[in-house]
Amino acid sequence: MSRLKEILDRGAFAVTAECGPPKGADPEVIMKKAELLKGRVDAVNVTDNQTAIVRMSSLAACVLLKNQGLDPVLQAVVRDRNRIALQSDILGASALGIRNILCLSGDHQRFGNQPQAAGVFDLDSIQFVQAVRNMREQGVILGGEALSRPPDIFIGAAANPFGDPFNFRVVRLAKKVAAGAEFIQTQCVYNLQRFEKWMAMAADRGLTDKVHILGGVTPLKSAGMAKYMKNKVAGMDVPEEVIRRMEGVPSKKQAEEGLKICVETIQRLREVPGVRGVHIMAIEWEEKVGEIVERAGLLPRPK
Amino acid sequence: MEGKNTMAQLKSRSRTGAGKRHLTLALFYCQNTPESGEAERQALEGKYGSSLRLFPIPCSGRLDPIHLLKALEEFADAAYVITCPEGACRYFEGNMRAKKRIERTRDTIAQIGLERERLGMVMNTREKPKALGVIASEILDGISAFPPSPVFAKRKASKEKDS
Amino acid sequence: MITAEQKPLDEIRGTIASYQRILVLGCGSCVAECAAGGEKETGMLASTLRMAAKMEGREVLIREKTLERQCVKDFVILLDDVIHEYDAVLSLGCGAGVQAVADMFPEVPIIPALNTEFLGETKDQGLWVENCLGCGDCMLYHFGGICPLARCSKHLLNGPCGGSVDGKCEINPEVPCGWQLIIDRLEQHHALDRLEHIYPPKDWSKKQGGGPRKIIREDQQR
Repeated sequence: MSRLKEILDRGAFAVTAECGPPKGADPEVIMKKAELLKGRVDAVNVTDNQTAIVRMSSLAACVLLKNQGLDPVLQAVVRDRNRIALQSDILGASALGIRNILCLSGDHQRFGNQPQAAGVFDLDSIQFVQAVRNMREQGVILGGEALSRPPDIFIGAAANPFGDPFNFRVVRLAKKVAAGAEFIQTQCVYNLQRFEKWMAMAADRGLTDKVHILGGVTPLKSAGMAKYMKNKVAGMDVPEEVIRRMEGVPSKKQAEEGLKICVETIQRLREVPGVRGVHIMAIEWEEKVGEIVERAGLLPRPK
Repeated sequence: MEGKNTMAQLKSRSRTGAGKRHLTLALFYCQNTPESGEAERQALEGKYGSSLRLFPIPCSGRLDPIHLLKALEEFADAAYVITCPEGACRYFEGNMRAKKRIERTRDTIAQIGLERERLGMVMNTREKPKALGVIASEILDGISAFPPSPVFAKRKASKEKDS
Repeated sequence: MITAEQKPLDEIRGTIASYQRILVLGCGSCVAECAAGGEKETGMLASTLRMAAKMEGREVLIREKTLERQCVKDFVILLDDVIHEYDAVLSLGCGAGVQAVADMFPEVPIIPALNTEFLGETKDQGLWVENCLGCGDCMLYHFGGICPLARCSKHLLNGPCGGSVDGKCEINPEVPCGWQLIIDRLEQHHALDRLEHIYPPKDWSKKQGGGPRKIIREDQQR
């Protein structure tokens, strides 16, 4: 059973977090992160070789999290696997009790530590969503051949309100929903005005009634991190006032300021019509997730 | 002229006595160069003998690097091009194109161990463009200390040069 | 056209080092257009190699010749008269040309002087850009004449991805986002709503499904 689906269907404000697997074969790292997140969030995303850096597989880490009693969200990129492998992994994930998937394109292989790898991109993320939906709803793989048992899985996709050609952003969201996306997690939000505009456009098109949108947040650890995200990360919008706020406090206090901004962002997101939850991406700072959730007034999590 | 530092190296090498063979310059020149008609060309070739071979071209932009390479391959210790001043090319960009092509050809010869300075370009001066004979003399002076091209040196002389 | 660039000179010299009689063979077609292997470039490479050999005191015969096309049997066969004077051929053809010559004269080593790169156009003087992947199932109609396979770095059919910012691809700010180009073009054609359609997974078997591809036309045969 997908706890995430259950919470969202109920209309409760969902809280998800992210967990990055280690660059090695050590399961203990995942166990530790599981301990930090248990009871503080409804589901935990496990990234899939994020930034094209080789890490323990998302599917394996999801199973480790599941064994600790958490509800994992399997992130799966189309960069590294063709349709045979992707569909196969869906069946495997479902058989192992993984009930949530986030279908993604994936960062280009050039960014990672294997830049000479062939980027697969056999399917794109939208075709992938559609394939998973058809596996579940119609019990078939691409091409129509029947499955012996369909997967039981809650389907999500990502959205970036700050990337994309402006006049196309909502069309892309609509396509994901039409393909079968049931929940959306967005790129982390620092520019609330722009996010609210995007949500309004989505609502205009009737999309907020059809899909659960969770706004992404990432707590800033330092002014340096804020500037890095603003200048070096594609598709990120970090307004000047956020930079100024971070720079305005001494470096020892910047982490706390970052947490404050994060909590305020979550509180503002709760007010935006159509936002059904928050997705906390505390990169290598998972220990703060519990505190963020608590300060945002979202504890205890519903049963 | 370019590459003063390397020129110093070339000059110091030549002092070790690399042979008596005089140097030959292949000089390609834009026909807009002052005093570069047929009569002047013959006079210059008469004056310098086998040290200077002259090749008129309608515009330096028409210069094909193959002409420079062939010259270096067959008889020249150095091959140069005279172009019109910047902005004064009759065909607008010929001189700029020549510059880029020559630069690329210098990279090519460097890759086989032939000194870049054996290929060169001289842009004539804007104020009072110099006559062909004047520039030829200046270039010949400039290359006078080059050792003979290793393309023609016998194996023995090459070894002497390197020691 | 097929584009290519000359291999580094060191690499070329390494591969021909053991031969004494070399024919440097150019091609007057695509590689001439991209200034890599035409008659001019062939002449320059041959001259450079001769100079290098002289400088090393090596006795090597290096001659050049340029065929109109190296990838067409009727042109390649013209080499029959001369090729056996040489113990190797350094070909400035694209990969197709090198192999066509090698298949016709298997007893003579045919060595590539170029790295074959992409199918593309001469966008401007001195500028060649990739625009076709040879997928065997052209969808250019749907995308306003801009190929999402060749011009999107992830060859998405339902792009753009989240990394498209200010019309640029996430991999390099100098690379335009192919999907931004498609969207702009379809807007120009008043056909942007075409992109509401979810394009199904690509049939890659038309490109890779049967190994090296072949076209046979009986009406064109003797």
